[in-house]
Amino acid sequence: MLDIPSLEQRWLKYKIKRSLPYLLTVVGTIIVVITLNYFLNPDKVSIPLTIKKEVNQSKEGSKTSIHDEAMVLEPSMQFIQSIPVTAPDITTPEVNTPAKPLPVTPKKILPVQKNIPSPLPIIKNVPNTIPTPPMPKLIQSNPNSIKRDSATFNIHEIEDRFTNNSNPHLGLYIARYHYDNGNYSEAYNYALKTNAINNTIEESWLIFTKSLIKLGKTDQAKKTLQLYISQSDSEEAKNLLNSLNKEGTK
Amino acid sequence: MEHSLFSKPRDLFLDIVNPRDYVQIDSVSHMYQNLKTSVQKPLKMILLYGKPGTGKSMLLHKLHHDLSKHQKVFMIDIPIIDESDFLRVLAQKIYSYVNREAITLTDFLELASAVNYAQTPIVLLDEAQLYSTLLMEKIRLISDARALKFVITLHKTQDEDIIAKEHFQTRIWESIELKNASPEELKVYIQKKLLKANCFDVANMFNDKNIQLISKLTRGNYRDANKLMFSLFSLYAWYEEKYPSKIKYNALKTKWIEMAAIHTGLIRA
Ligand SMILES: Nc1ncnc2c1ncn2[C@@H]1O[C@H](COP(=O)(O)OP(=O)(O)OP(=O)(O)O)[C@@H](O)[C@H]1O
Ligand SMILES: [Mg+2]
Repeated sequence: MLDIPSLEQRWLKYKIKRSLPYLLTVVGTIIVVITLNYFLNPDKVSIPLTIKKEVNQSKEGSKTSIHDEAMVLEPSMQFIQSIPVTAPDITTPEVNTPAKPLPVTPKKILPVQKNIPSPLPIIKNVPNTIPTPPMPKLIQSNPNSIKRDSATFNIHEIEDRFTNNSNPHLGLYIARYHYDNGNYSEAYNYALKTNAINNTIEESWLIFTKSLIKLGKTDQAKKTLQLYISQSDSEEAKNLLNSLNKEGTK
Repeated sequence: MEHSLFSKPRDLFLDIVNPRDYVQIDSVSHMYQNLKTSVQKPLKMILLYGKPGTGKSMLLHKLHHDLSKHQKVFMIDIPIIDESDFLRVLAQKIYSYVNREAITLTDFLELASAVNYAQTPIVLLDEAQLYSTLLMEKIRLISDARALKFVITLHKTQDEDIIAKEHFQTRIWESIELKNASPEELKVYIQKKLLKANCFDVANMFNDKNIQLISKLTRGNYRDANKLMFSLFSLYAWYEEKYPSKIKYNALKTKWIEMAAIHTGLIRA
């Protein structure tokens, strides 16, 4: 949960950091004015002196008033709040581009298009020659094409997105991806996270238990399945549990 | 804490996509009307794109909710990347054709021509950037054959311009871009959400200065706004319990908005 006291401290630091440049400019300007004054009117030495005095006085004045308040309540806050607020330092989350015009202009895109050879000339013929089924052959001859073209696909990006938006659908997607790629411990992790967000997704439970099985933790898998079946009455979970039990007795 | 005035408004801003929570915001409603007419046009594929958190999934769920009253609609919100699985699921959901084996595109198109729907069934695909080029090409062929109509959402990232990909460049795509909200729209969004849930007292606490700050911090992004509001109301609930006298009910405290922004990472501190 929220740790308000430490948040308050971070806020204070942030405010001080924000107002530091402002304070420095004010002090800097005063110094420049004083020196200029001094050089332009070297005779009137008294001017800088009086200003100095004023500055000292006002400093003392504010010091005491702050001190008084400190006895009562949050002195530093009051002081900080009296400083004009400048634009907050907004972090740029990596996904949120500043509002730039979209580079969808055809000019920009065309070269890309030219560079990419028309990917699948064979498929394009399909609608004209519907009776011949070239599709399955194509898929089998090139099993990698089923997965993803690596240019668009980066599982880490999706994982980051999942961390950010905790969307159980993405979690399931990632779990499924890892499972399909034989990465069972990752599949286990993501299915677990997904279940934590939404514990009603059947497939996520199945991937979770199947990963457990692949990792050799059959007992835990059985327990999980029993638990899930007691809550959901899932046919697939029952089948899986049955086949596990059979294997066990063999 | 649960009896807090702020726990209900806080939970309103959980980042959940549910068409029943859809809020009418002028520009979005306008887009939504366009979307509904486009969907009825023959031979068009519709592309909803925009940065994360701009409401693409929300619009797609809303469309699904509204269209399903009148016609066959099916939504795939978790991408099915395996191509034969994809066709099999569609065949089952739309043509009630159950088959454990792989289905080819040819089979699928034959199946489609054998079943007659008064209106072309509509398929909604969320997170379509996850589909392979090959599968996108098949989707286009299915659409070309007038078997199904597709509405897809694409999440646009900074480093990659997916819309520039060759298969979205053809004329058949009608694309609609979703954007972050302007300060006025963000105000409408927050206010409507609160009022819909009868949180009148809390809605009244927002003044224009508050909205300006929230808009600046979130850049009008709905998801960021949700996160900020969630932690802001958590913070109010905390103060309500510990130091109720610190709460002013006529305006939100700038300091607390900033603290919530620090907590959510919108302000680096
Ligand atoms: N019109 C709206 N009415 C109500 N809530 C909305 C609306 N638009 C956006 N939201 C809220 O904003 C949040 C983010 O929207 P959504 O998930 O649709 O973004 P997205 O564009 O799909 O993002 P991503 O690219 O990450 O998938 C949702 O959880 C929802 O609560
Ligand atoms: Mg989405």
